[in-house]
Amino acid sequence: MTQANLPAVRTEGVWKIFQQEAEEVRAVRDVSVTIERGEFTALAGPSGSGKTTLLNVIGGLTRPTRGRVWVAGQEVSEMSNQALARLRLEQVGFIFQAYNLLPVLTAMENAEFPMLLQGVAADERAARIGELFARTGMAGLEDRRPGKLSGGQQQRVAVVRAVASRPALVLADEPTANLDSASSEALLDVMAELNRDLGVTFVFATHDARVMGRARRLVRMGDGQIDSDETRE
Amino acid sequence: MHVRILLLLAMRNLRRQMRRTLLTSAVMVLGGALLIFSFSLGDGSHENWIDSGIRTSSGHVTVEQPAFRVSSKIEDRLTAALRAQAEQALAMADVANEVVAVSSRLRIGALASSAAGARPAQVFAVDPAAEAEFSTLDDQVVEGRYLEPDDRLAAYIGAGLASSLELRIGSRLVVQAQDTEQEIAAQLLRVVGIFSNGVPEVDQAVVHIPLATAGEWLGSGQDVTNVGVVLSGSHAVGPVVSHLETTLAESVIRGDVRVMDWREANPALAAAIAIDDFGNYLVFGILFLIIAFGIVNTVLMSVLHRHREFGVLQALGLTPGQTGAIVLVEGLTLTAVSGFIGVTLGLVGTWYLLSNGLDMSALVGEEMTFSGVVIDPVIVPLFRVARIVQVVAFILTIGAIASVYPALRAARIDVAEAMKFER
Repeated sequence: MTQANLPAVRTEGVWKIFQQEAEEVRAVRDVSVTIERGEFTALAGPSGSGKTTLLNVIGGLTRPTRGRVWVAGQEVSEMSNQALARLRLEQVGFIFQAYNLLPVLTAMENAEFPMLLQGVAADERAARIGELFARTGMAGLEDRRPGKLSGGQQQRVAVVRAVASRPALVLADEPTANLDSASSEALLDVMAELNRDLGVTFVFATHDARVMGRARRLVRMGDGQIDSDETRE
Repeated sequence: MHVRILLLLAMRNLRRQMRRTLLTSAVMVLGGALLIFSFSLGDGSHENWIDSGIRTSSGHVTVEQPAFRVSSKIEDRLTAALRAQAEQALAMADVANEVVAVSSRLRIGALASSAAGARPAQVFAVDPAAEAEFSTLDDQVVEGRYLEPDDRLAAYIGAGLASSLELRIGSRLVVQAQDTEQEIAAQLLRVVGIFSNGVPEVDQAVVHIPLATAGEWLGSGQDVTNVGVVLSGSHAVGPVVSHLETTLAESVIRGDVRVMDWREANPALAAAIAIDDFGNYLVFGILFLIIAFGIVNTVLMSVLHRHREFGVLQALGLTPGQTGAIVLVEGLTLTAVSGFIGVTLGLVGTWYLLSNGLDMSALVGEEMTFSGVVIDPVIVPLFRVARIVQVVAFILTIGAIASVYPALRAARIDVAEAMKFER
């Protein structure tokens, strides 16, 4: 199987246990799941169900207590910090609830930041950002700092930043939670279009019904475990 | 990581908290300027002390018979042949451009007497022309004149000795000392000039006479007790000492000759300068410790406020080391820019004083002696490239050290925790 044919994500018996003072919190319990390339998947569940923790484990932001995780065919569970950083740079794009753009950089600079780290040539960076800004309706706002953009606009820049570096998957943690309905719908349109046209793999952690409604696969979680896994056409 | 990104982030983050950055920067600018200004003045005044001290003693460098420094006896003298060898070595092209004056002298302890009484004296038998270049005593005439090349039985004496022995210009003076045959020999002299140096030990004891007169009086011919050298500055001491030791190597190994720099010959002056330097280093060390805490505060506050941001950077693919590097570059940029401005301001302030110097006479009086040396109350600062490099390196080191802890804090964050962090 070539790397392009490997699943975007595969987890096998993943546990994540936090120690909170004397108490042991089992945030993720024995989760095994495979997400293929090009999926538009939502991990849904109430607060504390373990969806964000699972997203962090998949993205290499935190290590599983037990179990194994593969991202684009690379096993991340035992990776060094350096290798994990490289994996995040090359294979994973993140979209956060609070946008998390770097406030000292313009929209353009934020969007091209991962590509700068990757060493992508300037003309290639400009071409990718130009196309994605046009697709997301952000053309003309390239030189604005995050403080001068609306929440919806900031989140679109975050989407462009996550997608422009051409990762194997984009992990989006409650991307619509801070947005009003119109902005949420518009953002979901953008992400659905990127998924359809460019084949970008999206995995959402969400409890927003709009996101769940758009997802082609819905994985429901509760108490750190997968309760149901439903694929829709 | 791309250096451009590092610098871009550093500069923009420093601008982000402009007031805090400017306050810390202002302290560093002031510290840097003060450091350059004070060290330039200190170096200038030390050079002044050295110049004043060596000209009233045995020079930046002195060539002597090894035992003379302790015994001060005429039998521990340099032969005319060794003296000539040393003078020739100093005329060589390797060092000639650094040599300002060479004076070969015969120094002996003597008893000076007149009709009014007798006093112990230090007799310096000199070549008047060479000594006039070497010493500043010829400029300190209060009555009469300094020795001239044709003088035979002339004496140039300190005002204190003249007063004690009630001598005036034209008065007769007898000096007695042990000659080369270890017999007591006396010499009649006539006072041609009286000087006032400001240092009581010098004014009450020093007598200059022609070297030729001493040669006949003591039977020492052209022999001397030291060949003293004044150089263009104390920076030239090391190379000239090495050159003399190499050129006179045979005599040095045999123990006939010893080459000493002014520190060995004037340990009290060297100690005074070392103590003064230590005091300066101590004060500036404390000052920069305070500044370092300012930098730590500025950079650490910035790190704590940007906890989530560092989490984002690592989520985007920065390694912990690269995250720390961003903070380190911020601290170093702040330090380097502030240090550069401070050093420039310090140099401008110092340059302003270069022509006229800083007149301290209102504080210390017109004449001050320190460690047996007359100090000029007008301090002319001294620029030294090595000192500027030292100050810049010191400022950057302080900046780097002060930024290490905040950088480690940024590098060691838990990314997942940082993303939860709420501002």
